[in-house]
Amino acid sequence: MSMSCDPSASQRWLKGALAALPLSIAVIPWGILAGSLALDAGLNPFESQAMSAVVFAGAAQLVAVGMIKAGVGLGSILITTLLITSRHFLYSMAMRPNISPLPFKWRVTLGFLLTDELFAIIAGGKKPKETSQTLDRWYALGVGLSFYLVWNIATLAGILVGSHIPDLDSWGLDFAIAATFIAIVTPQINQPSILICVLVSLVASVVCELFQIPSGLLIASLLGMTVGTLYAKATGETQ
Amino acid sequence: MITLTICLMACIIFLSRYGFLEPRLPITLNASTLRFLSYSAPAVLTAIWAPIVFVSEERLNIHWSNHYLLCAAFATVLAVTTRNTLLTTILSMVLFFGLRFWQM
Repeated sequence: MSMSCDPSASQRWLKGALAALPLSIAVIPWGILAGSLALDAGLNPFESQAMSAVVFAGAAQLVAVGMIKAGVGLGSILITTLLITSRHFLYSMAMRPNISPLPFKWRVTLGFLLTDELFAIIAGGKKPKETSQTLDRWYALGVGLSFYLVWNIATLAGILVGSHIPDLDSWGLDFAIAATFIAIVTPQINQPSILICVLVSLVASVVCELFQIPSGLLIASLLGMTVGTLYAKATGETQ
Repeated sequence: MITLTICLMACIIFLSRYGFLEPRLPITLNASTLRFLSYSAPAVLTAIWAPIVFVSEERLNIHWSNHYLLCAAFATVLAVTTRNTLLTTILSMVLFFGLRFWQM
């Protein structure tokens, strides 16, 4: 990954970082929370930062830290981690045609950075038949790496302020996530089967949330994808 | 023990993200699998945003006094008319935080 080989690489990186900006801002409170809760659970500052630097998975981190604090065993923590992270199997499978032909360094880097947010932006923007030829790796790196940096700086801030966390939850920053994802998904709805898929995921995810069903995100997503695919098959819809 | 927990969690999460990106993994995704996966982005993203918008304090909130819902509707209209992701995101966030500020 030589930085100087392509004069426009840094511009594409910046464009990616800009595309990720609303999501990066929205993640700041969670990063602060991840840092201060890790400290609160008895991790030392170095371990608390390592959690964000090495694990780099918001939901899994927050849940694991809660379990460590409650004295839950390692086995249960790892099984819970696997459940929470299982949606990433879906992301890497969906991105396989685009990322697997890339050189090792790029594969590992983009794989490590493949969060909900990176997937949202690079998969949300791609057309069905795209391959590695059309994935802008610098743009993807800009999205993923800027998000990683913000997450880790926010964690550091959380470690530094410790237990003096303001009530960030009430700020409504999660609307930034909703706004960004609506802005990405809506223009993608250009076929009846995609509309069906979105509506099914919408209803299913809200029902799962109301009944607090674990792994509701994965269940709702797979349900939407299945119904969308079946509808397309039944009506003979072409891509 | 905490170091071990962090390392093992990191392994599980990395494998879930990298697993299918490894070209030596002997799987080829056939046309119908790719078709199924093409729905993953709209499905997953919707399953993330919908509960944020429709659920407040563990209850269904379908009322215009729900700013999340009002601004999500505004964002949808903007997305359909402008097709511009960044503009849609920024304008609907301005409306959302404007409404919040107004109410304080």
